Amino acid sequence: MVDFLIGLFLASLIAALFTTRLYGLLFWYSMNSLMLGLLALGIGINIDDKAMLLTGVVTILIKAIGIPYVLKNLSHKFNFARQIVSGIKMQYSIMLVPIILVFTFYLSVPIVDMIHTNANYVAISISSLFLSLLLIMEHSDVVPKIIGFLALENSLFLLGTTATNGMPMLVELGIFFDLLMAIVVINLLFHKEEMKI
Amino acid sequence: MILYLLTVVLLILIAPILLSYIKATKMVLFFKRPISLMQGYRNFTKLLKKETIISEETSAITRYAPFLVLSPLLVTVFFLPPIVGGAYYVSFVDAFTITGLISLSTFFLMILGLDSASAFGGMGSSRESFISALVEPAMVLTIFSVSLMADNLGVGQAGVNLVAHFPKEHMASYLFAGISFFILLIAENGRIPVDNTETHLELTMVHEAMILDLTGVYLAIIETASSIKFVIFASLFASLFMPFGLEFIAPIAFVIFVLKLFIIATAVAIFEVNTAKLRIFKIPNLLGLAIVFAFLSLITFYVLGA
Repeated sequence: MVDFLIGLFLASLIAALFTTRLYGLLFWYSMNSLMLGLLALGIGINIDDKAMLLTGVVTILIKAIGIPYVLKNLSHKFNFARQIVSGIKMQYSIMLVPIILVFTFYLSVPIVDMIHTNANYVAISISSLFLSLLLIMEHSDVVPKIIGFLALENSLFLLGTTATNGMPMLVELGIFFDLLMAIVVINLLFHKEEMKI
Repeated sequence: MILYLLTVVLLILIAPILLSYIKATKMVLFFKRPISLMQGYRNFTKLLKKETIISEETSAITRYAPFLVLSPLLVTVFFLPPIVGGAYYVSFVDAFTITGLISLSTFFLMILGLDSASAFGGMGSSRESFISALVEPAMVLTIFSVSLMADNLGVGQAGVNLVAHFPKEHMASYLFAGISFFILLIAENGRIPVDNTETHLELTMVHEAMILDLTGVYLAIIETASSIKFVIFASLFASLFMPFGLEFIAPIAFVIFVLKLFIIATAVAIFEVNTAKLRIFKIPNLLGLAIVFAFLSLITFYVLGA
């Protein structure tokens, strides 16, 4: 079950990389976060950790519903172009994504020898880290960059959840407040973008 | 043996119903009055009654090609994984054979399009070859990776093995293969993001452009071939990615299998309603995604074993 959700996590991130629509990107980000929340819930039920369950619920509420909704509203308010153009040609991303995946999968082999955990969790979270960096790099608009940043945070969260059986509750709440701050900053950025236009 | 033959007959008989069902579901979703599920059969009988006219410009190929389009697909139907436990099945046919047979059928379809000596036919053939060249690697990779997960390169045997031992430990790569195969199912059967079978507009046609000149019996054969192609893909999807229901007795297993086919058809219809037709030069992006997922499935299975 966990493998299945991790697979969906990576699949939604790859779909986000290839989409050319703004709302599609938000939708795939929301799916990505939903999978993450379900994963946290699943692991929390497995190891009977109340804090993990709470984190899962908060993840679904904030990241899967709240942030995409706010971003959609904001981009609607500021009239952003609904087509997002990638700086890299699609053909090159089709080559880049498998290269990144193969590289990170082999990269995870020595890491797994050091910390005793399931190899695929580490590998998929590191590869999603690289994929979100690619998402930030290949777009020049502000919204995809933000989504890339948020996806980066998601993949770090995935690494924390799966590799170490959950970070301390305090750290996770801290990260959530960080995110909320980030959304405030993003709002300012949007205003600036608006003034440029 | 009797169950094996019954399976083949069932697949061939249900093929036109499935395509009519997709169309009816789409019409319901568009708030139109749906067509009957028997519409495929009605069209078939109507076309059989009609006069067959062949253009003077064509050579003998037009007379032979429709049969050569249909026959590789009919052969493929015999090689599909079993749908009832204990039934006879062909175990040694692998991904390359099935892909090869389907491309053989596509090859004759392209020849047929070129032979019609109209501008439309050549255009349709060139587009079809463009799409099928991109579909093939992804299809081979996908079926290959699922067969590896099932511990047998034969597709029929893989279907049986998957039911006996569901690959729980390979869930991630199994999922990627499933996504890739669903995109292929849509692309190869000319459903909406790639091709629109319902229009006769020169900008959107791929499949229809090649068969624009055909009438009567030949058109009936080609339409049967396209419905059988859909049923082959749907049945492969049902056996390889929804592996359950083989352990029941024959009638229940048949009902479960038919239900699976209808679930797939519903998924295709919903997907069609929610997407717009892609530009022809954007299609490599969609199929590139399929190739990425197929490759990802294989590499996840090999490197991580997940």
